[in-house]
Amino acid sequence: MKNKLSKNSITEKTKKNTKSLAIWTGTWLLSLALVAFGPVFIWDYNKAISLCAIVTNLSMGYKMIMANKQHLEDLDELQQRIHFVAMALSLGVSMVFGAVFGLLETVRLVESQPNASSVLFVMGISYGIGMLLAHRRYS
Amino acid sequence: MKNRFKVLRAERDWTQADLAAELDVSRQTIIAIEKGKYDPSLSLAFKAAKLFDLQIESIFQVDEDS
Repeated sequence: MKNKLSKNSITEKTKKNTKSLAIWTGTWLLSLALVAFGPVFIWDYNKAISLCAIVTNLSMGYKMIMANKQHLEDLDELQQRIHFVAMALSLGVSMVFGAVFGLLETVRLVESQPNASSVLFVMGISYGIGMLLAHRRYS
Repeated sequence: MKNRFKVLRAERDWTQADLAAELDVSRQTIIAIEKGKYDPSLSLAFKAAKLFDLQIESIFQVDEDS
């Protein structure tokens, strides 16, 4: 076999893309923390600085989205299918959960306004479960 | 769909990692194909046929039982 000793290029690409995605996700999280805590602890609600922090956060978010897109594009067909299954589950669960979660206060089952960011947790957990199920299905 | 991936690979004394590298897919994909849990795309099937130097229908057959 001509390249028996050569490394699998898809493995190398995945490693590189995962590293890039981890870096941009970390940077985005840090910039989000800056938007959340900066006005309180660092610049005393200065609007100009807060706007700069938001623009930085959006830029980091864009880079993270692009890194994720690249990561998905460079996966092989089975890996893409596994992510597809996980995304389908995550989107469906988040939509169903999000819709009913938003009504909890309206129907007076809870006192306070439900926090929309809770849906992010549901999204993440259902994505993880979807990945696990799809991996088991194809292994 | 049945396939002869495992037999053809063994005949050539290739590991799953070798075959994965040649086809530019992950080892997990080779494992799934060999176990019949995943049917590859047409382009990957043609790539495999070219690599094994065989006709595509001599690697993949429709599983009448399923």
